[in-house]
Amino acid sequence: MTVDYSKELPVVEGRLTLAQIEELVATPLDTRPDKKFFIALTISGSLLLFGAFCVAVTLLTGIGAWGNNQPVGWAFDIVNFVFWIGIGHAGTLISAILFLLRQKWRTGIARFAEAMTIFAVMCAAIFPILHTGRPWLAGYLMPYPNQHSLWINFTSPLIWDVFAVSTYFTVSLVFWYIGLIPDFASLRDRTASKIKKIIYSIFSLGWRHSHRNWQHYEKAYMLLAGFATPLVLSVHTIVSFDFAVSIMPGWHTTIFPPYFVAGAIFSGFAMVVTVLVFVRKIFNLEQIITLNHLEKMNKVILATGMMVGYAYAMEFFIAWYSGVQFEQFAFINRMFGPYAWAYWIMVSCNVIFPQLFWVKKIRRSIPWMMVIVIFVNVGMWFERFVIVVTSLHRDFLPSSWGYYTPTLYDTGILIGSFGLFFTLVILFTKTLPVVSISEVKAVAEGAQPSHHGGHK
Amino acid sequence: MAENKDGLNVSEQNEPLQPNYWRSFEDLYRDPALLEESHHEFKEGVKEDFNPSNLSGMSRRKFLALIGASAALAGAGCSDYPDKGEIIPYTNKPEEITPGKANYYASISWADPSGTGILIKTREGRPIKVDGNPDHPVSKGKVSAQTQAHIMNLYDPERLDSPLEKTTRGLFTKSSWQNVNNKIISALNNINGKEIAIISHKVQSPATKKVFDEFISKYPSAKVYSYELFNSQIRNSAWNKCYGGESFPLIKWNKAKVILALEADFLGVGEDKVENARLFTEARNVTDIKNFSRLYSVEGNYSLTGMNADYRLRLRPDAQYEFVMCLLNEIIKKGGSRINFDAQIFNNFRLTNFAEKYSLDAKTLNVLIADLIKHNGESIIYAGNSLSENVHIAVNLLNEVLGNREMYSQESAKVDLLPLSANEDWGSLISSMNGGRVGIVIHFGSNPAYHLPADYEYASAVSKVPVVISLVSKENESSVISDYVLPDTHDFESWGDCKNRTGFYALQQPVIAPLFNARQKEAVLLNWINGNADSFDEKIYHQFLMNNWEQNIYPGLRSKIKFKQFWYGALHDGVVKSFDSPTGIGTFNASVVQSLPVSISETRGYALLLNESPFIGDGRHAHNGWLQEMPHPVSKISWDNYAAVSESTAIELGVKNNDMIEIKNGSRSLKIAVFVQPGMADKTIAIDLGYGRSAAGTIGTGIGFNANLLMSKNIQFSPWLYSSVSVSKTGGSYKLVSTQDHHKFDDDMIQDLHYKRDIIQEGTIEQYLQNPKFIKEKHHGPLKSLNPFYDYTGVKWAMSIDLNKCTGCAECVVACNVENNIPVVGKEQIDKGREMMWLRIDRYYSGSPDNPKTSVQPMLCQHCDHAPCENVCPVVATTHSPDGLNQMVYNRCVGTRYCSNNCPYKVRRFNYFNFRDYFKNGYQENSIFALLHNPEVTVRSRGVMEKCTFCIQRIMEAREDSIRENKPLKGSDVTTACQDACGTNAIKFGDMNDQDDQINIYRNHELGYVVLEELNIRPNVTYIAKLRNIHTEEAL
Repeated sequence: MTVDYSKELPVVEGRLTLAQIEELVATPLDTRPDKKFFIALTISGSLLLFGAFCVAVTLLTGIGAWGNNQPVGWAFDIVNFVFWIGIGHAGTLISAILFLLRQKWRTGIARFAEAMTIFAVMCAAIFPILHTGRPWLAGYLMPYPNQHSLWINFTSPLIWDVFAVSTYFTVSLVFWYIGLIPDFASLRDRTASKIKKIIYSIFSLGWRHSHRNWQHYEKAYMLLAGFATPLVLSVHTIVSFDFAVSIMPGWHTTIFPPYFVAGAIFSGFAMVVTVLVFVRKIFNLEQIITLNHLEKMNKVILATGMMVGYAYAMEFFIAWYSGVQFEQFAFINRMFGPYAWAYWIMVSCNVIFPQLFWVKKIRRSIPWMMVIVIFVNVGMWFERFVIVVTSLHRDFLPSSWGYYTPTLYDTGILIGSFGLFFTLVILFTKTLPVVSISEVKAVAEGAQPSHHGGHK
Repeated sequence: MAENKDGLNVSEQNEPLQPNYWRSFEDLYRDPALLEESHHEFKEGVKEDFNPSNLSGMSRRKFLALIGASAALAGAGCSDYPDKGEIIPYTNKPEEITPGKANYYASISWADPSGTGILIKTREGRPIKVDGNPDHPVSKGKVSAQTQAHIMNLYDPERLDSPLEKTTRGLFTKSSWQNVNNKIISALNNINGKEIAIISHKVQSPATKKVFDEFISKYPSAKVYSYELFNSQIRNSAWNKCYGGESFPLIKWNKAKVILALEADFLGVGEDKVENARLFTEARNVTDIKNFSRLYSVEGNYSLTGMNADYRLRLRPDAQYEFVMCLLNEIIKKGGSRINFDAQIFNNFRLTNFAEKYSLDAKTLNVLIADLIKHNGESIIYAGNSLSENVHIAVNLLNEVLGNREMYSQESAKVDLLPLSANEDWGSLISSMNGGRVGIVIHFGSNPAYHLPADYEYASAVSKVPVVISLVSKENESSVISDYVLPDTHDFESWGDCKNRTGFYALQQPVIAPLFNARQKEAVLLNWINGNADSFDEKIYHQFLMNNWEQNIYPGLRSKIKFKQFWYGALHDGVVKSFDSPTGIGTFNASVVQSLPVSISETRGYALLLNESPFIGDGRHAHNGWLQEMPHPVSKISWDNYAAVSESTAIELGVKNNDMIEIKNGSRSLKIAVFVQPGMADKTIAIDLGYGRSAAGTIGTGIGFNANLLMSKNIQFSPWLYSSVSVSKTGGSYKLVSTQDHHKFDDDMIQDLHYKRDIIQEGTIEQYLQNPKFIKEKHHGPLKSLNPFYDYTGVKWAMSIDLNKCTGCAECVVACNVENNIPVVGKEQIDKGREMMWLRIDRYYSGSPDNPKTSVQPMLCQHCDHAPCENVCPVVATTHSPDGLNQMVYNRCVGTRYCSNNCPYKVRRFNYFNFRDYFKNGYQENSIFALLHNPEVTVRSRGVMEKCTFCIQRIMEAREDSIRENKPLKGSDVTTACQDACGTNAIKFGDMNDQDDQINIYRNHELGYVVLEELNIRPNVTYIAKLRNIHTEEAL
């Protein structure tokens, strides 16, 4: 294939006019939901309800409903939490970091990825509260003045989590909303429905597409992007401290912060690819979310996958190099102990299969990439399982070793969290523009002055 | 001065004096208006002078009545208030009760069949804890796990609450005592010469015996039968044949230099286990290293004693006779005999052949022979109860040959008030029952339908008896086939006395009024002797007991004080010295040797060994959740018994853990789950009895397998040992649960990890003598820390556990459960790994599965100075106190479990449920269980983390006392519950900042070490490394 490297590839394919772009994105919002939409919503809603049932049982009887036990105090609860927080990393990375790096291709996918971030953090937020023995006392985790002079423990990473996750969620939400304002205004101007008009008017905050509006908007967006960028790195760093700060072999590792961030981006991109493949097909957005987009994301997956693989190897090396027998045992036990199956699922899904993305054909093939990204999703869930459960189940004293087996409720809540995520995603596709109209218009061919004289 | 009645008639003119104090200028210059006001002190409220007639017509009495009524109305109207329990202060305070202060009463517990001297702790009139009576010559303040947990039986909600009578339809209906007693008395009177059989457990109470005597004199056709499922009948009869005495003497375990236990678990089971363990460990003292005893164990089962042995050999139990004869032969041949003896009869028994046949280690045998000869006169060979009479005779002979007479105690001996009924007696009773010659059967607190060997077919025999009466406190297999079931009181509600040893009597007194509509069984019998159901008096047995003492016992005690005074003193002490002494040991009857078989009988098939359960006993404690949940000291299996087999036997049978096998012993058979127990002899199956109860309430019914079904009235070796048993795999499986993971022995990855990780540090006596610092040298020395050290200036608590003394019996665990309100969680939760016991006994194997070397280690919160649990708690629910305790604040805990994850010892326990509510549908939420709880310890709710507190409630009590008495708090003022319970005094507790405190002897001992030292979390529990009294390789 011959490529002309002297020219940027067009971000939007098919030479769409600005009106066509707006039409494409806004159509799902203007039309009534069809049967397929309701079928999809029913499925994800059922999963959500099943999860809600399992949560209710847990709240009624106690977390003994789960399989957690004496050595394994944390299991699916924290695995799911870290998994969802990880998923929530792609959105802000795409919208903030790639924005600062002037990556034009991000415009097609930023909105969707950001929405996924917010939904994933919402899914993750279930677990920190639910996993406590007495969730009705979760307020104790907040520092508030009280007459008992009780204060929280700022040396505990769980407290850092509370702040890191809530900050991340707030900033992501605000950033997402700011980006939505010009689109709300466009929708307000398009719609004929009175109710919609009122709603869009409220949310567009009186946007008039004026220069002054745009000037303020660009500044605010830039500032927020700068603000969100460190958060992308800090959230998973702090989540990794939950483990790294402890003294458990297999947890007590300084490599955890970068390793967790890389893993989070890895899993987040995989999840975004998984969902976008469907969305671009269903909503006819193939010209906006192009194969080029998917390929670029697959490249990121390949890169971060290798970082994760490097971390796995480095953990082993350090365990051996440290000469600490507990560390050495913990890692040998991962490979050959009772949970070896989980370890090998993790390694094959996260390190081995993504290597196929070296091949350009596979990178650009929808079926191939679907299989691989789903493997990555599975593998990254198992990575957290391996870290949490395998480290705990055999620690220092062989007398206290145990084995963790999930119960119906453990699995039910995991399924329910997927139900919640997809329910929110499905509702999102019919209520808000899944692609940023204004940003895509800005990168469409001919939208910017160029030396080639615009449209050719 | 004018009379000044109300302050109003004081004249200003008459008294122009300036006040010498003033509050304002008006005051100073005596402003008349102010002066007027100042006379009316309550000016704003009351202007007029007091005049009752102007007041409201409501009287004070009426006002209070209305207040009371409205409060009552409000109370009734708002009855949803969660706390419905009443708190009413004493109107007339009982003299001896101070709210918040515990009282202690000396008494007797019959949880162990021969009676234990105990001290019952009561709070506000309810018993909450049982410890040994320190004045009691046997218990010396220490009691068995069964006795500790006996308190739960008192508050068992399933105790019988009223007499039951079987209707013609075969169902029980509740009845009144009077009604039932009338019917029974008329049945007794119309007996017409038919036999009245009273079936009792072992009788150790002189008063009970007297009741039986009087009953027999009133109803002459009555006969008393007594039994114990586990007894020393064979041992005693062998002793009788050898020396002529009635019963086998007590052993001076503390004096013996070499002990050889033959299938004998003298440390693990039996009524003397606590005393034995105490005496045994007296000779395992690291401060007296020269006098360390050496324990050999030769056994088929892997017992607690075998686990503690310095040398252990596996031998199927039916080959023990040959083994003892071989030993005799070998020792005599080597000139080890201290008596002149014709050794001809031993010629057939050659040790080398024997060792080859049963693949015994020749080196160990050589060491054993050499030790026995070297320490003759200072060794003891002790055969287990389950071995045959011939083995016991041969062992007596062997001890005689070695001149070990000195090892038999001369100071005290056991007393048999009423010998247990012989096999022939039971045979004739059963045939009388079947022949219709028995009119009435009385189960006097006993359960023969479960305990008697199955081939007596007791249940069918008793169905031919017209009147069957059970005097029991809870339903059992015998009560459900009775016509009348009369509720008996618990030991703590009963009077009694006990004579189980020479030298003293013990007294039993009630510490609480009967909680249920129950009557003490002796009192019921006395009532029947009266022959008038209406004449029952609560004090009937109390009076009888006192009269018996006054007339029959007191005169022999040479007391100088009057009986009444003596009696109260005796009740207070619980023990009275008496002047009876053992009869002494006669000369050995050499002719008995001639009766011993001289030919070798080959062992065939599988050997079946039936053992006493270390916690359930003979099954009488099956109702007790705490005891059911206690993990077996060796296998760590909880809530079940099992068929223990060796690894190679399991391979031979084609079974693994949890597979079902069928055991056939003659015509009797049993299907039971298999557990592969390291250390078992090949072709030997060991099963604990006491399980598989079919009528033992919510807790005990259907737990485990009833191996009593395999017992036979025809004795081959003993009632507990059978040879030529056939075993087959049946298919199917049954889940056994344990508190400790079972991993493969031969897995390289995890083998000997406890040594590699220095969790268990051990050595030998020789090693220690050569280099006393061999443990300390391994240590890292003081490790550096980035964190500043907190300076503990006052008292700082520390514990030390001597692993030389710890036998792993787990009595401390039960004591901890009772003291700290630990719930029972049930088999299913144990399976999940959620046991709640704060203290656990870790058991580690090393070596080969056939000859495992076992180490035990009590593991509890180590109260680390740099506790890793503390800094990860987000809500500061676990903190450190200035006296070095790691504390849990239950109210603040939200239950993140991070602390538990970060605890390297995994000693924290999490309430995954409200276990009291969850287990058996809230069985433990029954209101009566609330009485069981120690009021000083919070009952933890769902979702809260908990762990060992070093018995902080006891520390606080001692601290309060020291403040009140204005003296400094000393380490010796506090003992923890586990320390109190430890029969061997392995646990020491005290103030490490007090250099005079004995804790420092152990803390700074050369053999002291802390577990996981390299983590530098500075635990405050020190372990004293175990020394094995074995020869080093060169010596062998």
